[in-house]
Order: sequence, then C-alpha cells, then structure tokens
Amino acid sequence: MNIVACIKETPSTTAEKSFGPDMRLERRKEDAIPNPFDEYTIEEALRQQEKHAGSTVTILCMGPATATDTLRKALAMGGDRAVLVSDSALAGSDAIGTARVLAAALQKIGFDLALFGSAAADAYGGVVPSATAEFLGLPLLSYASKLDLSGDSTARIQRAAEIGYNEAEAPLPALVSVVKSINEPRYPSMKGIMASKKKPLDTFSLADLGLDPSSVGGAAARERAISSEKVSTQRKGEMYQGNEGAADRVVAFLIEQKVL
Amino acid sequence: MQFTQEHEMFRQLVRRFVQDEINPHADEWEEAGIFPAHDLFKRMGDLGLLGLTYPEAYGGQGLDFSYTVVFCEELGRADCSGVPMGITVHTDMCTPALAHFGSDDLKQQFLAPSIRGDYVGCIGVTEPDAGSDVAAIRTRAVSDGDDWIINGRKLYITNGTQADWVCLLARTSDEGGYRGMSLIIVPTKTPGFSVSRKLRKLGNHSSDTAELMLDDVRVPKANTIGPEGMGFILQMQQFQRERLVGAITSYAGMEKTVRDTIAYTQQRSTFGQPLIDNQVIHFRLCELLTEIEALKSLCYRAADQYIAGDDVTRLASMAKLKAGRLAREVADTCLQYYGGMGYMEETRISRAFRDSRLLSIGGGADEVMLGIIAKYEGILPGKKKARPATTQPAPAIEPAIEPAIEPATEPATAPVAASPRTDDAHEARAGAPA
Repeated sequence: MNIVACIKETPSTTAEKSFGPDMRLERRKEDAIPNPFDEYTIEEALRQQEKHAGSTVTILCMGPATATDTLRKALAMGGDRAVLVSDSALAGSDAIGTARVLAAALQKIGFDLALFGSAAADAYGGVVPSATAEFLGLPLLSYASKLDLSGDSTARIQRAAEIGYNEAEAPLPALVSVVKSINEPRYPSMKGIMASKKKPLDTFSLADLGLDPSSVGGAAARERAISSEKVSTQRKGEMYQGNEGAADRVVAFLIEQKVL
Repeated sequence: MQFTQEHEMFRQLVRRFVQDEINPHADEWEEAGIFPAHDLFKRMGDLGLLGLTYPEAYGGQGLDFSYTVVFCEELGRADCSGVPMGITVHTDMCTPALAHFGSDDLKQQFLAPSIRGDYVGCIGVTEPDAGSDVAAIRTRAVSDGDDWIINGRKLYITNGTQADWVCLLARTSDEGGYRGMSLIIVPTKTPGFSVSRKLRKLGNHSSDTAELMLDDVRVPKANTIGPEGMGFILQMQQFQRERLVGAITSYAGMEKTVRDTIAYTQQRSTFGQPLIDNQVIHFRLCELLTEIEALKSLCYRAADQYIAGDDVTRLASMAKLKAGRLAREVADTCLQYYGGMGYMEETRISRAFRDSRLLSIGGGADEVMLGIIAKYEGILPGKKKARPATTQPAPAIEPAIEPAIEPATEPATAPVAASPRTDDAHEARAGAPA
C-alpha cells in the first residue's frame, strides 16, 4: 500500500509573525517547522504502515526550496521518502491552487491512501483536503479521530460528534484528514534523525507535474487576505471597591463566568 | 564547534523531551527527593539518547562529543538541576571508562543495558575521608582466586539508591597514593552491598544521593575496567569528561535563569517603572549574559579539544571552575532582583539558587581545579609543570603519569587515545585491554 502524508511548512507557533504589503505572511527559514497538526498526519501514516506490511510512506509538501529542511525533520519521525513541490511560480498560491498542485503530485506519485492534517497552523483555512479530493475525483473522509483500513480496499473512520461519533467509509484510493485525537505523535529518535539525511528526497517543478503556471500562484488566487490585526493581549481588570455591594458583584461575576 | 542540521534536529528532540517528560514532573520529583530513573531512562534509551558517543555495537550512536554538547545544553534548560545531573552521571560520568576500556563481555553486561535504559548506573569514588583527595580512598578489594572481595563505604553517590551497578574505585594493592587502585563494576544486587543512607541535600532535590556500604562484596575480577592498578588514572580521565559535561549543562541553565529574570523584571514595577529600567539592573544582567557567553565559548573550545583527542585537562578544569563560580553569581544576583518572591519555594529562582551551590564542590572542588591549573601553568610550588598530551598516537594506557599535587589532589592526565573523534575511534586507537 502506498501511503502519502501531505504536510505543510509553517512558521513556528512562537515565532513573531509579520505580513508583506500584499498581506502575505513573511516566511523566514529559521522559523520554519512542519505544521504542528501534520505531526498527527505523519504519525497516522507510520502507524498504518506498521499495520500493513510492505507499505511505503511518502511525505509530500508544497513549499519553498528551503522546505527540504522541514521534510528532513518529518523524515526523522519515519517514512521512506519525501517529495517537495517547489517552483517560483507557486508563490502566493491560495488553498485552491495548493490543492491543484497536491492533486497533480499525488497522481504522479501514485497512492492508495493520502493523509492530511485538518488545517495548517498559519492560515487555518482547512480547505485543502476537500479541494484536493475534488480535483482528484476521489472520496475524502474528513476529521478522522480513528482510521481503520480493512482488506486494503476500504478506509473506515470515526469522526467525533457532540455525543459519540459518526462512522464513515470509502473505497481506496481515498483521502483522509485527521484530527489531533487520532494518535500521539512519536518523538523522532536519534537513529531517525541520523537516517533522515540518507532518505531520498525528490523535488518536482510545475513542469514535472504538467501544470500550467498561470493556474496557480498569486495571480490565479481567488482568495485574498484583506487585513490582519494582532490580538490584543492586554488584560483589562475590573475593580470593585468599597464595602457597598462589592462582594455581591464579585459573586455575580463568578456566576456569570460559570465558576460558581 | 560547528552544528549541522542533524544537531539542530537533535536539539529539538532533547528540548521537547525536557519540556514534555521532565519539566511537568520537576516539582513532584523535587518534593519526593528522587526521580524515577528507570522509567525516565527507558524512554530516553528508546530514543537513543543514552549512548550518543558510544559504539553502535553496544547500542550507542557512534557520534562525536558535539552531540553531547547539544544534549547537555538542552538538559540544562530543565526546571531543576537534579534530574539532568542524574542523567549525565549515567551517560557521561560512570560509563566513559567502561566504554573505552571495559572488556567486550563487561560492556555487553553493563554498558549495553545502560544505553538501552534498562540499567541505571552510578559512580563510586568519594568516601567519608576522601573526596577531592581521591588518592586517600580506603575501600579495598582483596584478591580471592578469580574474585575480588570488597569492603568499604562510598558517600554522596548520585543515583545511589536506585542504581543497578556502581563504577567503583577501590584499592587493589598496598601501593600508596594514586597507585594500586582499580575501577570495578559492582552490581548492586550482589550480597553484602547495601544503601546505608539516602542523604538529604541543600539542593538538587530531585536527584537521589546515597551512602553505600560494601561488606564482603564478592565480584569477579573480570569486572575490572582496564588493567588492574590503573583505576586512578582511568578515573582521572573520566573526570575530564565529567567536568566538561558539568560546565556545559550549567551555562544553559544560567542563561535561562537570566532570561527568566529579564522577563520578571520587565513586568514587575516599582516606584512607577519596570524594575529592569533601572540601569543598575539591566547593566548587571547584561554583564551576566556576557560572562555566560564567555564560559560557553570556553566550553566549546574545550569540547573541540576533546573531540580532537587532545589533552583537555587544563581547559576542562578552567571551565568547571568558572562554571561553578558563575552559577553562584548568576543565581544570587537574579534572586535579588526577584525580591521577596525569589525567596519563596514556588519560584524557580529559589531552586536555582540552591542547586547552583553544588558545581563548585562536586566533581572536584574549585580548589582542586585551581591546583590542576597551577600545575599546568608551572606555578605550583615544588611541582614540575604538567605535560599536556600531544596529538601523537599513544600505543596504550600510559602508566607513568605523575600526579600534579599528589596526594592532596589529583594528577594531570594525558588522554589515552590520540584522536577520539568518536568513542569508537577512541577505543580503536587505545586498544581495549583483554
């Protein structure tokens, strides 16, 4: 079984964020990490590989040429090889453009199961898995909190609901997006780290994927960021002073906050 | 010291391990006076963290000491010093001599399971009447056929209450001073071995410290590391690594302490302004950061020397001396800026203050370091200048090493191997004794 884990390079969650004049996030190589949600994607790919002997795991990423470092970090967790799709024409792609590229790359790689995180920690769009499935004309089982592959032909997932969970299944090949509760990602081991530099890492350009540059990138993007604002972290205190009614107001506040 | 992408990935791994597996438990383990070494070491062993420089044949990673530098830097950022100390005693203080000079059988028995995290090790040198004065130890191993029968006491032994084996320094002949001692692996389950006391300490509470009793403990002579009678020399070499590791682990913690203090003084206001806006405070914190950077550079230079297989005794002694003094200065200064809050148990600075005191004592006191440095500088009255080892290959263990300040302290030691880029290389060049 060919399993592909699709990941994104994002800035570290603790990195200082800044935006260019076009409202695109300015990405610095030193802040780049694998999207934290995608650790669950990779872990699930590795667990399915362990359950299905003879399977291979490919880690796929669209990003700048420097994203090879991020892919090496992902390979330190495990997996057999990595593929980076990188092309200067891709700059400014929106979620649909990204999905178009991932769909083409998945077709080129060949897969039975393609795994995604439910969203990326930088944009939180959450659109890419479904859009990729649409481009491929294949089923997407979204927000999986459990995944079972039976007989190498069907994927069955559980999706958490308000009470209990829903179950859904689809024939392979299929796409599955996972949520954090699906597993506990492993640490990359020392051996994994040292082995990661020896694993094959291929880079595809748009030409390799047979994609027209005008169909992707900033010019083709239909989604546009308009503004951004820093969340104020300044905490406002409220003072209740004096003897008259202060205690009652504190109690009322605590009830309102459902503390009492 | 050049760090690669692999070093950086390794750093992230250790940092995450400290954040997830040590820090959440630090308060509990400090309170308990012990951390669960077998549980923690097993998880570390699974990740390949316990034998970074040791041969792959015994489960190690076969890497050079630069990875140990990264390892120690990240351990040093933990929320307590006791756990990092317990870990590094296991990885870099009780195992180097075994890894370099132990027989294959001995390494299979004790090194391999220690690297896997199945065994916890400790180092037994200090005694009630012999600490910095190592040559004064009284624990004696008497020959009985193929066995040693060992009697004596060991004091201030880190990991001592939960260790599976001790790398024990004992007298094996009647030669005086530094001669006639051997390093012997003693399994703690051997009849006659007991933990007589779990000691209460000023700091490093999360690490257990023991007094050990050996009463007619019988172990095979095959448990001797290297040739009989070479224990003192091997221990002195082991000490160089211990001191270097102690210094490296400390500066990362010091930097964290200063940065925590910067954050605290930025949000703490007095007389209408943040504390840090007082020039006396921000200048002082910058002075400390400068000192820490200088110590870090010294450690990097020493580590480069160690990797190259040169004699690191002088720089390791200087690094340990500087680290011990600076650790106290940093903790004391920073605690002052916390004011009353710094005196409270609930703040990390009060723990750092307690923990900082050990480094000038353990692993050779400041005064021992000064004696060694003086010997190397040729200014120790009545003593010849210590000879730094050259990078010329040495065929085997050099037995005729003269103590620097015998018997009060310890000798300047030449490294046995010429260029131990990894411990595999070290061993290959030195030739493991049969």
